[in-house]
Amino acid sequence: MSSALSVRGLSAGYGPLQVLDGIDLDVAERERVGLVGLNGHGKSTLMRAVVGLVDWRTGAIDSGGRTIMKTPTHRLAREGIVLIPQGDSLFPGLSVRDNLDAGAFAPANWRKRAESRERVVQIFPRLGERMKQIVGTLSGGERRMCSIGRGLMAEAHIYLVDEPSLGLAPGLAETIVRTLCGLDLGGGALVLAEQNRTLVEGRIDRIVRIHAGKVASIEPGTPAQEPA
Amino acid sequence: MIDVLITTVFLAAVYSLVALGLSLTWAGLGFLNLAQGVSYSAAAVGAYEASVHIAGNALVVLAAGIVSGALVGLVIFFLVFLPLDGKPNFDLRTLIATLAIALAGENLILDKFGPQPQAFPEIFGWLPTISIAGTNVTSDQLGAVLSAIVLVTAFVLLLGGSRIGLGVRALTQNVEGARLVGIDRRTAAIAILVVSGALVGVAAVLLGPVYFVSYDNGLQPMIKGLTVAMLGGLGSVRGTVVAAVIVAFVEAMTATYLGADLVLVSLFLLIAIVLLLRPRGISGILETTRA
Repeated sequence: MSSALSVRGLSAGYGPLQVLDGIDLDVAERERVGLVGLNGHGKSTLMRAVVGLVDWRTGAIDSGGRTIMKTPTHRLAREGIVLIPQGDSLFPGLSVRDNLDAGAFAPANWRKRAESRERVVQIFPRLGERMKQIVGTLSGGERRMCSIGRGLMAEAHIYLVDEPSLGLAPGLAETIVRTLCGLDLGGGALVLAEQNRTLVEGRIDRIVRIHAGKVASIEPGTPAQEPA
Repeated sequence: MIDVLITTVFLAAVYSLVALGLSLTWAGLGFLNLAQGVSYSAAAVGAYEASVHIAGNALVVLAAGIVSGALVGLVIFFLVFLPLDGKPNFDLRTLIATLAIALAGENLILDKFGPQPQAFPEIFGWLPTISIAGTNVTSDQLGAVLSAIVLVTAFVLLLGGSRIGLGVRALTQNVEGARLVGIDRRTAAIAILVVSGALVGVAAVLLGPVYFVSYDNGLQPMIKGLTVAMLGGLGSVRGTVVAAVIVAFVEAMTATYLGADLVLVSLFLLIAIVLLLRPRGISGILETTRA
């Protein structure tokens, strides 16, 4: 079976700074992986390195059996490797609807954008009431929903979601993470970076702990299911 | 007063065409295209040659202007954007590169076309001359206003309703976000530069009958275009059109009541006043785009 993502010996960083130090990570098709670890230890950099948004990287990254080290970021997005970044990276002057539609920019997704939008509204009904509103005027929580919704507008092999709970009130943070973990992603895999591991525990297949730019441990997602 | 308003509408339509491309190039690609004037001159000369050698009807002349203007846009893509994209000091180097193309292009046209200004054929002669409250609107003015309105409307619809248009708008808002959803800056750059060139080409054809065709007649429209784009708040279509109307009105008023040689002075005052009151232009998104 081919893997959704396979990372081998990945080191990466920004300028003279090295953040990742020989990371290995495998994500199977349809698998849900939680990426936990403290702030500044490389969760975001790992995700950004996969889609080529770091200054430099060495090692190997494959998806579906093919190397993606040389593929530019915009093409990866079209080929179904979708990053939902920390800080949302939305288009503040455009409406919620335009932001969502932009998520379906790849021609194959563009044709299905009305259906996909409907699906996103089912997941986040709040966005349905805000379709025509300019994104810059949304609340932080609504913006996060819009950002995740924009990512879900694309049919992907793998969704990389970077700290979806960041900056949200605890209740809303939990709702967002629970919603994300419970989604039917078609054939897509999910990698979810989260500083607060209790948020993902019990909702995910595996937990990968990143520490100081390395994989510190790989554990089953639900402690209770751990074979003795 | 009626003739001032008629001139205002005419100039506003033409300036919108010049400024929209400049505005979008700045907001979407992050550079000021000083070679926009070459698109104008090339389009005017191209349209003139087409009218002499092919046929003088409106469609042929307009098409020749559009193609010539768009070709210059393509040249700018290959000579400026492609080699400099992603390099340090992109904004400064593109400024120098487009200025170089502006100078080289003007001299190339001087070399081929000669220094002698030529009279442009009347391309809208088949339209009627109408009269509004006693003031005549020439068929050329009528044709220019109608074509400009049709084209600006088409441009706005394309930008607001098409997939590529959404891509371009997204690019003006967040470059990284645009990459993350699969928008290719290069494809968008070709679209923006070719469409900008084509719109300027149309403006050149529409202004052709008013001014003579000469190698250096792209400079004035480009100065006006930059003024309009800046006043509108670089990147905003609505702001650009509003600014075009204001600039055209000030120009028409000045030319009618104070004298044509004071037009640039009054426009300069207008820029100073508007930018003092609203530093980001009439509906500027400059800071959010560049941040």
